[in-house]
Amino acid sequence: MKRVALAVLGLAVALPAMPQGFTPTRPVEVVVHTGPGGGSDVLARAMVLIMEKEKLLPVRAQVANKPGGGGVVAAAYLAEKKGETHTIGIFTGVWLTNPLTSNEAKVSLKDLTPIARLLLEPAVIAVKADAPYKTLGDFVSAAKQKPGELKQSGGSITSRDNVVRQQLQKVSGARWQFISFPGGGERIAALLGGHVNMMVIEPNEAGEHIRAGNMRLLAQVNDKRLAAYANVPTLKEAGFDVTPVPQVRGVVAPPGIPRENVAYWEGVFKKMSQTESWKKYVADNQFEDAYQNAADLARFYDDFTGQMRGILQEAGVKTVR
Amino acid sequence: MKAARADFWSGLALGGLGAYIIVTASRWEYLGADGPGPGFFPLWYGIAMAGLSLALVFFSLKNPNSDLIDWSGARRAFGAWAALALSVALLKIAGFAVSFAVLTFFIVAVMYRRPYWVAATVAIAAAAGFYVVFALALGVKLP
Amino acid sequence: MQGFAVALQPMNLLWCFLGVVLGTVIGVMPGLGPPATIAMLLPLTFLMNPASAMIMLAGIYYGAKYGGSTTSILLNVPGESASVATCFDGYQMARKGRAGAALGIAAIASFIAGTVGVLGLMLIAPPLAKMALAFSSPEYFALMALGLAMVVLLAGRSMVKALLAMLVGLWLAGIGTDLFSQTSRFTFGQMELLSGVDFVVVAIGVFAIGEVLTNMEGREAAKALPVPKGIRNLLPTLQDLKDSRFAFANGSLVGFLIGVLPGAGSTIASFISYGLEKAVSRRPEQFGQGVVEGVAAPEAANNSETGGALVPMLTLGIPGSSTTAVLLAALVLWGFKPGPLFIPENPALFWGLVASMYIGNVMLLVLNMPLVPLFAQVLRTPTYILYPLILGISVIGVYSTSGSLFDVWLLAGFGLLGYLMRKLDYPSAPLILGLVLGGALERALRQSLMMSDGSLSILVSRPVSAVMLSLTLLILLIPLFNKFNAWRLKALDN
Repeated sequence: MKRVALAVLGLAVALPAMPQGFTPTRPVEVVVHTGPGGGSDVLARAMVLIMEKEKLLPVRAQVANKPGGGGVVAAAYLAEKKGETHTIGIFTGVWLTNPLTSNEAKVSLKDLTPIARLLLEPAVIAVKADAPYKTLGDFVSAAKQKPGELKQSGGSITSRDNVVRQQLQKVSGARWQFISFPGGGERIAALLGGHVNMMVIEPNEAGEHIRAGNMRLLAQVNDKRLAAYANVPTLKEAGFDVTPVPQVRGVVAPPGIPRENVAYWEGVFKKMSQTESWKKYVADNQFEDAYQNAADLARFYDDFTGQMRGILQEAGVKTVR
Repeated sequence: MKAARADFWSGLALGGLGAYIIVTASRWEYLGADGPGPGFFPLWYGIAMAGLSLALVFFSLKNPNSDLIDWSGARRAFGAWAALALSVALLKIAGFAVSFAVLTFFIVAVMYRRPYWVAATVAIAAAAGFYVVFALALGVKLP
Repeated sequence: MQGFAVALQPMNLLWCFLGVVLGTVIGVMPGLGPPATIAMLLPLTFLMNPASAMIMLAGIYYGAKYGGSTTSILLNVPGESASVATCFDGYQMARKGRAGAALGIAAIASFIAGTVGVLGLMLIAPPLAKMALAFSSPEYFALMALGLAMVVLLAGRSMVKALLAMLVGLWLAGIGTDLFSQTSRFTFGQMELLSGVDFVVVAIGVFAIGEVLTNMEGREAAKALPVPKGIRNLLPTLQDLKDSRFAFANGSLVGFLIGVLPGAGSTIASFISYGLEKAVSRRPEQFGQGVVEGVAAPEAANNSETGGALVPMLTLGIPGSSTTAVLLAALVLWGFKPGPLFIPENPALFWGLVASMYIGNVMLLVLNMPLVPLFAQVLRTPTYILYPLILGISVIGVYSTSGSLFDVWLLAGFGLLGYLMRKLDYPSAPLILGLVLGGALERALRQSLMMSDGSLSILVSRPVSAVMLSLTLLILLIPLFNKFNAWRLKALDN
């Protein structure tokens, strides 16, 4: 009896002495769902550079490319690494929409551990510089007069490009074609070559073309005006009452990790989002800083998927979940 | 092994594939509101495949002696492939070095009938070599 | 001119040399082509200033391309997608004991074409870019159709089997998520198939592993490939150079022009160049059995495509191929903004890049020509060592690109397919063609029909696509024409 009591006492003394916080002890793996050179890959590499510069991690971080299925493979990879404390992943909007439309996309953000939301990617609506449309209203009324004739280039029908189109069409009654191209380069080429009339594009992709005078912006897909485009109206200001669906990027971790681990990652990214290097990176690339911690991110996820589900169903896309 | 009728059987197999494609493709949208749907292209090449396979089968029946092949060596080739498949299955459990050594040993000893000690040396040397060059020097991940 | 001054500094030359060496070593690995190589070595370049890094990247790029050709010729293992066409005649030349000549011609063709490509980039980039923008979906469709028509020229004995192989290739290309509707096609519920079957897996499986399996049939160690003896076989002869002169021109031009088009890459360029060479050759029936211009044409196209792909990238910020996509990312990471104003605002960097490409080209030739006889000695390895090595390299190569064991299984499966195809006398070139072009063909067709609201006339109402489609039709009619001729001659005999 006494021995048992002693043992229990000993344990009670020892327990608080066990490590409370978490610090990584071996290289950290940052999973991205694109190949080298793709959007998430570039972001991850820049992030790693910033973390090294600002000494935010005591160990090295390495980018692991797990391309495939538009994010499905990477998400599944993270889900398999249950309990792994030295792996994180960069997620983007497609990780949120894939489970809605694809049977094979069995892993949603709810199956992983959300860590932080980092960025919002705004978008702008662009036409070729010599097009007759000076405002978004011009384009939409032209489309209304010739339903189905004007064309927009973009990504797949679940992409943000098409979501904007669906929202605008619904609120204005106009109709125009959407033509999918697999790469940003091809979409821009289609616009500049005069084969389509309009496109939704990210400002950092369009920036140089606007500077060179090849493209003109009609509106920005955002709630408030970006500093760099102070004289381009937002959708609401242009007369279209739609709530822009945000395109997000953030950090997730595998499921089943201890609370200290989550707190650690949260801390790292919160610190990073406040550093000068990060702010400069965000400004250079014309992103919007939209830091949210893990709890807020989880709530955001629910709102976002609900909204997307409605929009996709209206667009006639088959949703499986 | 006795010669078999290559064109006949492969024609049937491809005809089967063509039929499968046609059936699956017809379940998808052929012509959507905006343009051709996902079923459009597969349906057509499925039909082409089925048609051409039938032609192949037909020709092989017409000229029964034109497509005899020699299967005598095939057993060894299939054996080698089975070894490869086995070593791929081993990759998940045992890792690259071990699986590859096993495969190499099999090829050298069985396929080429070299003495066992030669096979073993080659197997170990090759596996070690790969490990050193790729995993250590270049940092390429091995299964 | 100051670009050259920068590029010729000894330190930069060293970087270039290092790049070429590293590139060749990694490029030899099947599956690791220039894009993956550059991505792997990208972190290294952050330690240097952008100009030197650019130069090293150029070296890596050329090295990787050449490494890919080396394995194609010596082992029938395509180092990357564009090297597949080199396998056809290059490997056959090696089997005839002329491996050295094949390697040499590949290096020379690459050098000539690379130079043409860079010249093109230097002199006519901006106007060419404008022309490239006029190319739209109908033209792409016609181009892909033209490429597929090459099947007719590559058919061999049985046209039906060649067409069937091509159709299987088209089917393989369609596996995955449909871009337009996001429906999963032919994925059999496997999530790894959502983005389709990787070309590299198929090519290595069908060619390399198929080859190894075929050779396993013989009981004794089959003779290793004959080691080239004598200068005649170690290096290309003057006759070889003469035979290849049209191939050099053809490859350089075709490669460059196709490279300029965003969305059409080196694989298509090398196939079209190969087909074109065969079409105009005086000895077409020997293609596929080891004619030197069958190596020169695709190799040239392969290389000048780089220069071409840089045109849209540097004038519009639009990557023309996967390699230029990685280069674009590198530029962005260094803080540059490639776009229409890139060249006017960064002339030093641009000319430095151009100069570094020249130097990379020269360095490649200088480095590799003396090494050609050395490479050829690889063939001396007894087969019982060589074949397991090939299998090992293939597995590593595939796994390192995708990190997925599923792909390794696919590799084994395609290896079996490759063996069966050889046994049953199905040509593998059409399969590869179908796989490479199928996706783009379907997309271009659907985009065109969307643009024209469902009317097929868009394909012929535009001049460029009409011309290309007529060419395609002509090519398709050739075998009928031949059959007609043969029938007529037989009738005359009777």
